[in-house]
Amino acid sequence: MRGIGTFLATFGIGVATYIAIADSGGGAPVCIAGGHGCQTVAESSYSHLAGVDVAVFGIAGYVLLLCCALLRGDGARIAGFALSLVGFGFSLYLTYLELFTIDAICQWCVASAVLMTLLFVTNAIRMLGYVGTER
Amino acid sequence: MSGREARREERLRAEERDGASERRQRMVKLGSAAAFLGLAVVAVLIVVSQSQSGGKVEHASEVNRELHDIPQSGMVLGRPSAKVTVLEFADLQCPVCQGYSEDVLPQVIENQVRGGEARLEFRNFTIIGPESKPAGAAAIAAGEQGRGWNFVEIFYRSQGSENSSYVTDEFLTAVARAAGVPDIARWNAERDSRRVLEEVADSKSQAESLGFTGTPSFAVEGPGASGLEPLGTPESAGALESAISGAG
Repeated sequence: MRGIGTFLATFGIGVATYIAIADSGGGAPVCIAGGHGCQTVAESSYSHLAGVDVAVFGIAGYVLLLCCALLRGDGARIAGFALSLVGFGFSLYLTYLELFTIDAICQWCVASAVLMTLLFVTNAIRMLGYVGTER
Repeated sequence: MSGREARREERLRAEERDGASERRQRMVKLGSAAAFLGLAVVAVLIVVSQSQSGGKVEHASEVNRELHDIPQSGMVLGRPSAKVTVLEFADLQCPVCQGYSEDVLPQVIENQVRGGEARLEFRNFTIIGPESKPAGAAAIAAGEQGRGWNFVEIFYRSQGSENSSYVTDEFLTAVARAAGVPDIARWNAERDSRRVLEEVADSKSQAESLGFTGTPSFAVEGPGASGLEPLGTPESAGALESAISGAG
C-alpha cells in the first residue's frame, strides 16, 4: 500500500505542479484532447481559494500524502487517511463545480481528482487493514 | 512442559491478544476522529470557496476568444485609424445593454470594427443604481490595462438582477481575473482612484448633455457626420451598421 501511495502522490505532485505553473501569469493548462475546458476552468472564480490557486493547495496535499506514504506506523496511516479524505472530498466538490456550475471540464483537474480518489482508497485500505497492528 | 508452564504461556498469549485488540480499537477510534476532522476541513473549504466566488462568472473564454485579435486602448475597441467612432453609453447593470452586447454588437464588431471601419468606445451612463458606479469604475480600470472590453462583456454575461447587491469586490475581482487583467493590485488601486471615479461621473454628464435618458444610447462621429451625432438606441444591428456607414 505504501508503494502504491508513493507512486500516486508523486504523480499527483506532477499534475498539480503543471496546473499551478500553467495558471500562473493568467495562463491555463493545455487540454491534451483539445477544447477550451481547461481555460474556462482556470478563468473561473473557483480556481482560487483565499487568493491562492487551488492547484497550490493540491501540491501541498500531494507532498503531505507522499510523506505519509513514505513513513511507517499508525500516525502516518491515520494522517494519510485524513489527508486523502480531505483531498477526495474537495476533489468531488470541484468536479461538481466543473459539471454543474462552470459548465466545463478540465482534463488535468479530472486526472487530479482520479489520483486523489485512488489515494483515498489506498489510504483507507492501509488504515482499516493495518492500523493498530505491528506491520 | 509442565501443565503449570503451559497455563502460564496460554495466559501470556491471551494478554498479548487482548492488548493488541485494545490497541487496534484505540487506533480505529482515532482514525474515526481523523475522518470526522477531514470531513470538517472539506466543509470549511467548500464554505470559503462558495463565499468568495461572489457569483458566477460566465462565458469568459468565449468573450476572450472573440476579442483577442482586436486592438484595445482604454475603453476603445478597434483600430485607432478607423474613420468612425461609435460611442456606447451604457450601464453595466442594465439588462437591455446586456441584450445589446449579446445580440446586436457582435455583428457590428465582426463586420465594421474588426475590419477597421469603425471603433467602439464604451462610456458609463450609470443610471440604474449605486452599484453601477463601482462597476463602471472597475471597467475603466480594466481598460487601463487593455482589458476594458473583456471586462464589460464578461460582466454582462455574468450580470445579476439590478441593485441586488451582487456587485461586490469579490464579484468585480472575479470578472477582472476572468477578463485577463494582468495586474489585479494595480486594477484595485485604480478603480478606487479619484480620476477614474470622476471619469464615470463625466461620461454620465456627457450622456445627459446629448439628451439621452436610457441605456444603451449611441452616438457616432466621423467624416460623414456633423460632429457627434446622437443615435439614441438603434433597433437592430443593421440600423447601427447603416448609421456607421453613413458617418464614414
